[in-house]
Amino acid sequence: MKNLKISLITLFMIALGTSVVAQPDITPTRKAAIDSLALEKVRDLSKYISIVGNKETPWSEANRVIDRTEELFAEGAQMGVSTIYSDEVKYYGIRGYMERLMALNYDKVTISWYNIQYISDLELQPDGRYVGVITIFQRFEGRTGDNLIYKDTTKKDITVYVERKHTQISGRLIGFWDVLLGDIRVTETKP
Amino acid sequence: MKKIAFINKLLLMALIAVFVAGGTGCASKKKLARQQEAERMEKINAAKAELLAIINDDGTMSLEEKERVLEKVKAQDIDDEEVSALIRQVELLLSAEKEELRRAKEEYQRAEEERLRKEKELFEHKMRFQILENHFNAIVRADEVATANVEIEEALGLFENNDVPVLIIINREADIVDYDKPTTIKKYLEFLKDQKKNLNAIENVKYNDNGKITELELIKK
Repeated sequence: MKNLKISLITLFMIALGTSVVAQPDITPTRKAAIDSLALEKVRDLSKYISIVGNKETPWSEANRVIDRTEELFAEGAQMGVSTIYSDEVKYYGIRGYMERLMALNYDKVTISWYNIQYISDLELQPDGRYVGVITIFQRFEGRTGDNLIYKDTTKKDITVYVERKHTQISGRLIGFWDVLLGDIRVTETKP
Repeated sequence: MKKIAFINKLLLMALIAVFVAGGTGCASKKKLARQQEAERMEKINAAKAELLAIINDDGTMSLEEKERVLEKVKAQDIDDEEVSALIRQVELLLSAEKEELRRAKEEYQRAEEERLRKEKELFEHKMRFQILENHFNAIVRADEVATANVEIEEALGLFENNDVPVLIIINREADIVDYDKPTTIKKYLEFLKDQKKNLNAIENVKYNDNGKITELELIKK
C-alpha cells in the first residue's frame, strides 16, 4: 500500500513536471511571429519546388536548390505524390522527390501553390515543440511542345514543427525558432 | 584831533567789515564741504547699489553689462572701503562667471563635435546599408540566374567571408529577441535569388578592421 502511494506521488510529480515544461511561455505577439515564420517556410518550399520543376533552371542551380529544400525538412520527412489516374499515393524522401521532379519527362513544368493556410494551429507539445498542420493546394501542369499533357490539382497537408533553440554567434547567445517541415500528405487529387 | 577820531572810526568800521566778511566766508566753506560730502556719499551709495545689483543678479544681467557697470564704478575712483570690498567681490564673481562661460562653451563645442561625428558615422553607416540594400534588391530583381550570380559575387566582396552569419529578427518584445534560424551570407544571397523577395530590412552590421562585414542582422519588414 505504501509503495503504491509512493508510486502514485511519483507519477503525479512526473506529470506535474511535464506540464510545467509544456506551459506556454510566449505572448500572442511572439506566437503570431512563429506562426508567420512557419507559413513563410512553406512558401519558400513552394518556390523551390517550382524552380526545380522548371525545365529552364540550370542543372547546377536545381541541385543547389534541392540542397536548400532538404534543409527545410525534418530528417526522414516524406513527400506524398498522387496522380488522377490512380488512388494510390506514393511517398518519397525529399531529395528523391525533388530529383524525380527535376527529371520529369515534359518540356515545360509549371507548379504553383496557393491557399496556403493553417488547418491546425501550432500547439505546444509536452516535449516543448510546437506542432501544427498547414494545408496547401498545388496546381501541376506538364506540357510537351504546346500540348498540355497532364494537369492536376492536389490538396496537401504539411506537418510543421517549431522548436526554440539557442546558438552562440560571436560570443552572443542567440535564441531562434527552428522551423522544420514534416511529412507532406496528399488528401485530395482532382483533374 | 577830530580828524584822528574820524580815522579811528573808519578803521574800526573797516575792521568790523573785515570780521563780518570773514565770518560769512567761513560759513560758505563749511556749506561747500557738507555739500561735497553729501555728493560723495551719494556716489558711494549709487556705486554700492550698482555693485550689489551685480552680486544679487538672478540672471537678468548679461556678463557684458556687469563688466560695463563694474568699469564705470571703478572709473569713479571712490575712496571707500566698502565700495572697494564690493568691487573685489564683483571682480571675483565675474571672473568665476567668465570661467564658467568658457567651460560651458568648451563643453558645447565638444558636444557639437561629438554630435557631428556621430551624424557622420550614421550617414556613412546608412550609406553602407544602402549599398548592401541595393545589392539585395538587384539580386531579387535579376531576370536571369547569371545576372543574379554576378550581383551575389559583388555583394560577397563586402563580407569578410562567405560564412559570415546572418541573423533575422522575427519579433522583438521588451528584452526578448526572436530570430529565425541563423544562416550564412552566401546562403542568404542565394535565398534572395531563389525566392525573388526581400522581406527583411537591415538592422545592424558589424565590420572588421578592414571594413569587411563580419555579422549582419536583419529584421522582418
